[in-house]
Amino acid sequence: MTDEKRFSPEAQRYLDGETVNGLDQSELAAADLFGQVIQEYAASLRTPGAEVDRAVMDAIVPRARSHRPASLWRWLVQPHLFTVRPALVAAAAITLVAIGALTIDIPGFTDGEQAAGTTTGQPATILVRFELRAPDANEVTLAGSFNDWSPQGVQLVKNAASGLWTATVPLTPGEHQYLFVIDGSQWIPDPSAHAQVDDGFGQANSVIVVGPRGVVRS
Amino acid sequence: MGSQSDAVLVRRILDGQVELFQVLVERYRTEFGRYATAMLGGDVDDAADALQEAFIRAYRSLASCRDQERFKAWLFRIVSNQCHNTRRARRSHVSLDRIEEPEDSAAARRMDDAEIGQTIEAALNELTGEQREAFVLKHVEGYSYAEIASLLDVGEDALKMRVHRARDELRHKSEGLR
Repeated sequence: MTDEKRFSPEAQRYLDGETVNGLDQSELAAADLFGQVIQEYAASLRTPGAEVDRAVMDAIVPRARSHRPASLWRWLVQPHLFTVRPALVAAAAITLVAIGALTIDIPGFTDGEQAAGTTTGQPATILVRFELRAPDANEVTLAGSFNDWSPQGVQLVKNAASGLWTATVPLTPGEHQYLFVIDGSQWIPDPSAHAQVDDGFGQANSVIVVGPRGVVRS
Repeated sequence: MGSQSDAVLVRRILDGQVELFQVLVERYRTEFGRYATAMLGGDVDDAADALQEAFIRAYRSLASCRDQERFKAWLFRIVSNQCHNTRRARRSHVSLDRIEEPEDSAAARRMDDAEIGQTIEAALNELTGEQREAFVLKHVEGYSYAEIASLLDVGEDALKMRVHRARDELRHKSEGLR
């Protein structure tokens, strides 16, 4: 490799994110172009989807599923109240479509049996998936009564292609109140939640009710 | 309750709440997904297979994760090894594309996105495993050197050396881009 195709030490430091003074203009242009190309490449990469989660859980908990086929079938054919109401809410700077909280399909678990906490003395939990479409947000977190309303408590993960932010949270059966927090400062209720309650300060909190067999109302 | 730490989740899983492994899978499938795809030549199907195998192996050896506070680094090593194994297996029956020297670098032409992706992937394939891993973590995942050092248990100076060499190689191999 010839020297002209190497980045200078200053350009390397610049690409490392350090502040560099006196970087030659041609080197600066080359470094910027390099950074831009790599950034575009990184953004173009697809990431494996939720089918990985299902395959992994199928592989590690097949026994739990096969032990309760009758109750699983019974649960599947029984009517359950799962309210999911996708809604489109346009805000000034951000478009949000909250799909709300959904129970997720976990083999050996979605038949509503409580988790192993029944044998360990720990409270049983139901895994609840929260989804919010916020393509323009840089960060979305979930704060609620289940985490002392900490905005740093639950980080949602963004699907770059769809703009959908998701997180799966273990919740104990009962009623929980929650809000989404956009970019650390904008607290919003879940537009598709079944119920909103006054938080006592003139704002609304979303309500989710978790039963031992899954989400009762979202 | 809220977002439980890795260590708490690992302890509860080992205590019998197997279904909580789903939380860890979703958390790190997303976090390490782009890394796996980049390490496997942009093939998202290979990345999905590698991640699936890595998570299953991690679950089966979860009891051996003694420092549960460093679960992320422990899991990353499994994901990384699986990606390297997949690459080796693929090399045995697939001839990886090679980048040709541009005949006239002065006549640089504008490539479309697909060509850029193929060029970068082919150039990444030319790097050593260590260089490729460090470069992908730095520039694709966007980790800081301190975070990479924690994941790989390698000093920051050594990491910078790998990333700098990787940049030079990539610049050399991808002359003519744009």
